[in-house]
Amino acid sequence: MPKSIAIVEDDDDQRENYRDAITKKGYTVSAYGSRKEALSGFDDALPDLVILDIILGEEVDAGFELCRDLLARSPSLPVIFLTERIEEIDKISGLRLGAWDYLPKPISLEYLAERISSLLRINEARYQNSAGGSRGSDSARKIGHLTLDQEALLVSWKNKQIDLSGTEFRMLAKLVRVPGHAVSYETLMNATMQSLVTNNTINTHMRNIRKKFERVDPEFASIKSEYGYGYRWVSK
Amino acid sequence: MTKANGRGPRLSTKLMLLGLALLIVPWFSFRHLVQMESFLIQGQSQAQLLTAEGISTLLNGREDLFNDLPLSLDGFEALYAHPLPGPIRIDARESDWAALADRWQVFGGGSEPRRITSHDSSIDALPDGAFHLLLGERGNQLYAFLRVRDESRVWRNPNLLRLDNADHIRLSYLTDQGDEGRLQITMQGPGVTTAYHMDAEWKFAEHGLPENRVQGYVEETDYGYNLEFRMPMSMLGSRRSFGLAVVDVDDPETRQIRGIAQTLPQSGRENFHLVVLRSPEVLNIVRGLGYSGARILVIDSQRRVRAEAGSSIEPSESTSDTPGWLERLFDMFRPNVRTSSDLAPEDTEQGLITVGGQVIDAALQGQPSAVRRRRDEGVEVIMAAHPIVSRNQVIGTVVVEQNTDDILDLQRDALGRIVLVSATSLLAVFVALLAFSVRLAWRIRRVGSETTNAIDRHGRLKTSELRHEIHSGDEIGDLARSVSSMLTKLHQHTQFLESMPRTLRHEINNPLNAVSTSLQNLEQEMPAMEANKYLESAKRGVLRIGVIVQNLADAANLEDALESEELEVVDLHELLKSYVGNCHNAHPDCQFVFRSSPGPAPARVADYRIEQLLDKLIDNAVDFHWPGSPIRIHLDVVRDHIEITVANRGPPLQPEIENNLFDSMVSQRVATRDNRLHFGLGLYVVRVIAERHGGSARAANLTDGSGVAITVALPLASMAPRLRATG
Repeated sequence: MPKSIAIVEDDDDQRENYRDAITKKGYTVSAYGSRKEALSGFDDALPDLVILDIILGEEVDAGFELCRDLLARSPSLPVIFLTERIEEIDKISGLRLGAWDYLPKPISLEYLAERISSLLRINEARYQNSAGGSRGSDSARKIGHLTLDQEALLVSWKNKQIDLSGTEFRMLAKLVRVPGHAVSYETLMNATMQSLVTNNTINTHMRNIRKKFERVDPEFASIKSEYGYGYRWVSK
Repeated sequence: MTKANGRGPRLSTKLMLLGLALLIVPWFSFRHLVQMESFLIQGQSQAQLLTAEGISTLLNGREDLFNDLPLSLDGFEALYAHPLPGPIRIDARESDWAALADRWQVFGGGSEPRRITSHDSSIDALPDGAFHLLLGERGNQLYAFLRVRDESRVWRNPNLLRLDNADHIRLSYLTDQGDEGRLQITMQGPGVTTAYHMDAEWKFAEHGLPENRVQGYVEETDYGYNLEFRMPMSMLGSRRSFGLAVVDVDDPETRQIRGIAQTLPQSGRENFHLVVLRSPEVLNIVRGLGYSGARILVIDSQRRVRAEAGSSIEPSESTSDTPGWLERLFDMFRPNVRTSSDLAPEDTEQGLITVGGQVIDAALQGQPSAVRRRRDEGVEVIMAAHPIVSRNQVIGTVVVEQNTDDILDLQRDALGRIVLVSATSLLAVFVALLAFSVRLAWRIRRVGSETTNAIDRHGRLKTSELRHEIHSGDEIGDLARSVSSMLTKLHQHTQFLESMPRTLRHEINNPLNAVSTSLQNLEQEMPAMEANKYLESAKRGVLRIGVIVQNLADAANLEDALESEELEVVDLHELLKSYVGNCHNAHPDCQFVFRSSPGPAPARVADYRIEQLLDKLIDNAVDFHWPGSPIRIHLDVVRDHIEITVANRGPPLQPEIENNLFDSMVSQRVATRDNRLHFGLGLYVVRVIAERHGGSARAANLTDGSGVAITVALPLASMAPRLRATG
């Protein structure tokens, strides 16, 4: 049974493009042009994954509200924000609401498809883990205090779970692939799976990741800047 | 900007200078006062003239009052009959004459009659037979008092018929008819005297009857005797020629005349003195008219004072020897008052008047006039003279003299008040003006500085409205309001401009995304089109638009984004070393030289913002360096700040661009040689980041002109215990 994806986007052209691209990947797609339409659609059946634009018509925060609504109904529902609003504040709000990932426009449909499948897989993995009752540690990798589960998109530091967005997770995964080696900005840019990335974007993401670790462990200092080149993971 | 060098005085100075114009007020008051003085003086002159005219009217046609004197005094010497203030008792006592105590005349002591002053020689010092004489007139009677020096008094023996064989007095006069009259006053001892008309020889009485109209009284004294007598004026007639002789007889046996002392000159060709009388009728008329501070003189056509009443000189209590500053100030501006003594009315004791003066001259020629003059004592008087006319002839003049103290006092008072009031009001106005101007200047300065501060060094609006003065009702309030509304509009405009890149990105990103996704779908649906060059160029175009919009938005958001950065102490030395070490990766064709002063260079920064700053500096240097020349990066700790200099050899800065090199959208690039995007945002980002960290950025040509050095200064931080080591 193909997974069902819901797309909420007020721009007809973009909506149709998303729909066509995602349908081609073998998903069932239901596309909505407004918050109202979306809500009535969700009343019938909840999709497996939702792609939300934040501004819908006149409603500036419609995407956030929809996200809140959906997560209230199904807390584990993967939500991807897709928007031109890439200001820091929007990212924070979106992620705090429990969104899984956040993609700035213009997007690469290729990357979008990859993310969708990745998120669905991860969600499934988590579901199976919790259903099976056993820790799916087979896919997990341990680097010092860091535990990284690529399958379930789970990260923990000193056995404390850390919530990272999809982008952040992929960046961290790239960073720790060979601990102690500097990873260039370019590599990290690829990891974001966004079409338009600057050093600044990387820096912002890295800072956010660092902060999330420091919240758990104030002594955290494993992410080092390699000025003029990129970042480096240092295990103690 | 707030300095006004060479642009004229400040507002407050101007107001103060304008305030000085108020000094005109006391000046005008003073001018007014001076005019008022002359007006008052004129008024008083007029009043005096009127008084003189009134008096002269009384005297007009009364030439009889003046005719009792010969028209000419030549050849005559005068005896003065002074008006007597009180009644005289014929008792040979001087007490009645006290008022005239300084008017004694001496005869027989020398050839000329003399007046006795109080310190003159006493009667005792005179030779035998000399005498003191005092004449007075009252009630149409001529009174005489004689002090006669006589060592041996010989009284008349009534048994002897001859009258010249004892001490006696001879009186000679001319009657109206021109006949010579001779009277002898005989004394039979102390007591009442008897007078007889005498024969030409002065030996026997003309007839046996005594002249009862002549009453006398004699009394013995230490020095001789005193004689007092009176005779009616009518006996003297209108000519009033009068002579008096004291005949001295010393030997009671032989009874020979030893000497005659007389008022007549010894060798006189005239037998008589003129008895000059103040015309009593005129005096009576005038006396009633006298008033305080005024002196009235009646002068006949021969310039003789015929009557005098009152005194113009009254001691003024305000007159001090040294005039006060006020008077001095006042005198400075007063029209000069003549001080020439063209008339000295004090010289009237002699009765024969030598007073000159234009006033009297004019009056005697029929012209009433008034003059103001100052006496030597500093008393200022006004003299007014009016002619007395009879049958078209000027027969005399009335002079009214009054001093001007009252007016001057009035004037001084007024001047004092004006000075006081002007000074006070001037001071008050000055203080008010000063306060006002200071406040005004302060308000304007406040609006000015607030307006100035509304825009920072780089022309960015910092506030959207003024806080001060916008509720004031006056012009400054209007100004503040208009500036404020201008700022508000400017602020809105600036906000619009600032939000422009964001809005633009927002608006562009959606269609861009539509194009981008459409292209992707197109590629998917038509595999044949893969690697089609049109598709590729469309994709590149989309990417470039995306980058442009992204860069613009980043730059526009930079300052806001920087505000939320968290700063930490980082060793810039380590950071720079690591950074320059990695530069080769980004720019493999370039050679980088790093030099730094030893030791850590801690600064409170957001490390990746510094990295961004360095990116821009290096990009800039790489873009402009001559190929093959090294790019030098220096780190210096200078006192309290750290200086990062990136220098490259290449074209020097153009002077016109040097000042705004760090502003956005300013670029020195002549033509884009490559496909990269240049918005002149690089150095703008450098400046904004440097300033966010409390530092600054500057650019300069190398001293030899071979290139450009851009220096960023950041404040040095104290080494924090937890310095994040750099990897």
